[in-house]
Amino acid sequence: MADLLQFVITGITVGMVYSLIAMGFVLIWKSSGVANLALGQLVLISSWVTYAILVQAGLPPWLGVPIVIVIAFCLGWLIERFLLRPLIAQPILSLIAVTLGLSYFLDGLITFIWPWSVDALPRLFPQDTIHIGTAVVSQEYLWAAGISLLLFTALTLYFKYSRMGIAMRATADDQMAVQACGIPVTKIFSRSWMLACAMAAIGGILMASIGGIGHGLIDTGMKSFSVVILGGLDSFLGAMIAGPIIGLVENLGGGYLTALTWPGIKEVIPFIMIIIVMMIKPYGLFGEVRIERI
Amino acid sequence: MYLPAGVRNYSYAQDMAIFRTKTQWVLLGVLLLLLLVMPSFLSNYWLSVCNIIAITIIAATGLNILTGYCGQLSIGHAGFIAVGAYTSAILSGQLGMPFLLSMICGGLMAGLIGMLFGLPSLRVKGFYLAISTIAAQFIIMWVIRNWAGVTGGNIGLSVPTAEIFGYSFTSQASKYYLILAIAILVIFFAKNLARTRPGRAFVAIRDNDLAAQVMGINLFRYKLLAFFIGCFFAGIAGSLLAHCYYGFLNPEFFDFKESILYVGMIIIGGLGTSVGPIFGVILIRLLDSILSLEIVPFLETHVTLFTSGWASGLKPMIFGAVIILFLILEPRGLAHRWQLFKTSYRIWPFSY
Repeated sequence: MADLLQFVITGITVGMVYSLIAMGFVLIWKSSGVANLALGQLVLISSWVTYAILVQAGLPPWLGVPIVIVIAFCLGWLIERFLLRPLIAQPILSLIAVTLGLSYFLDGLITFIWPWSVDALPRLFPQDTIHIGTAVVSQEYLWAAGISLLLFTALTLYFKYSRMGIAMRATADDQMAVQACGIPVTKIFSRSWMLACAMAAIGGILMASIGGIGHGLIDTGMKSFSVVILGGLDSFLGAMIAGPIIGLVENLGGGYLTALTWPGIKEVIPFIMIIIVMMIKPYGLFGEVRIERI
Repeated sequence: MYLPAGVRNYSYAQDMAIFRTKTQWVLLGVLLLLLLVMPSFLSNYWLSVCNIIAITIIAATGLNILTGYCGQLSIGHAGFIAVGAYTSAILSGQLGMPFLLSMICGGLMAGLIGMLFGLPSLRVKGFYLAISTIAAQFIIMWVIRNWAGVTGGNIGLSVPTAEIFGYSFTSQASKYYLILAIAILVIFFAKNLARTRPGRAFVAIRDNDLAAQVMGINLFRYKLLAFFIGCFFAGIAGSLLAHCYYGFLNPEFFDFKESILYVGMIIIGGLGTSVGPIFGVILIRLLDSILSLEIVPFLETHVTLFTSGWASGLKPMIFGAVIILFLILEPRGLAHRWQLFKTSYRIWPFSY
């Protein structure tokens, strides 16, 4: 029973970080219709940048983490300006392929700068364990979940009340109409890429400070795809709810199925979920079902 | 079909011919002759590069049928190649099946698995399908890694050399001829497939699947057929990779990055053209072997500016940059450039 509670709590908290990363994906998809398959690499590279700033340059976290976020903003702006903007109005295949090319490039860049491929970040959160009922949970997970929740709230408020946020939602709804109203659509695109990169960076920092930096972070990004598929590609609410579900299923499955099947089942459960969701409810829990007309 | 001035067709057979002028036949003959005598003046290393190019052309042609003609993006091609490779290796190595039969079984198995993971294509498309093929890749590789009793797991699996009717393909040159023959058959098949009823149905589905359905094209049948053919070729390529290139199998060979590279290759070559995959594969594989043979070791020893081991990041960076640059600057790929070159050659010295 203690196991169960443990799995549930870890699953939900890790799942919230997945949600955070997934929201960056949803943001880009909604505003510009681009599927960002380089998500995993963005998570990895931003955690390496954090490493460079906190460990290699030795800055304190209160100064270093904001710098990382600023760098993530710059990266997002660069990607949008130089890769996606020339491809506006191209078929979806090119848009997917360009992010694949980007993921390949970032992979190389990471090896180029940090060839040793595995390292640890300094612990950003207190590590004392907390007893919840019978379960023993590392405090770090709760901090990560708390920060994710805080960011959800901040983003929700941003989209609801700020001028730019409203413009972004409007762009997601109808690009043509927004353009006709005089809102610069390209600016919205680049803003959404910047925000998405920042979210990937924060997700990367949270995951890396708990589990260290390594290629596992790319898989974290990949798992976020299952979150967006389950939640629905164009739904923030879906991403928020689906993240903990995926984390929960992953941890419960990893806990109870490993003995029955093969080790490593935890890593493929999100992908099996993708296939199951595709077969049953292809547009996810909250995704808009697209009705096509000729 | 554009015809040069003065060339006319007098029968339907002529009208359907792929090679229609004497020059084309002569050029084809010269090309085939060149391919046949290649082993006599290439070293073993470059011959093995030719082999991997030809094998990759087979797989990329399959992906081109699926993605280029039918419009169903698959980012799990390396996974389907792995299915073919392992099926064929296990059938011939552990059950003693003859090579040709196990190769075809490998192809069929990959085709069936491909159809299974292609099922979501009936309800979703675009990004959703891309994600489900990524999921296919990860699930397939997970099974291969962990089903150690059959696949050898992470340690790998040794594969017997190819043997047809008692003749064993051990030398690099004999492997080259075997792979070349199969690659030519596959290219010929793909070229002709595009002109048949299923081929036209694929193109119609790519352009607008809803409109295609309204016109009476059975989406269920043709989408799954595209998945089957594409993955069948992947399986054949996998089998050749196992028997004629590596000689043993390891899950490392079928990484997710390899899948991305396949998509990159057909984009660089030109989607939906029969020569596209050939150009794309040659460019990427040549770049690959030149980089890993000459440039990367040279830089690794001579440039000490960066942390040691940095040069292994060069290859992915260059591949990624090439894919991105082609998408931005020449989205129609090398095949389009080739077409432009042919046109300007024909009408030279006039500009149009």
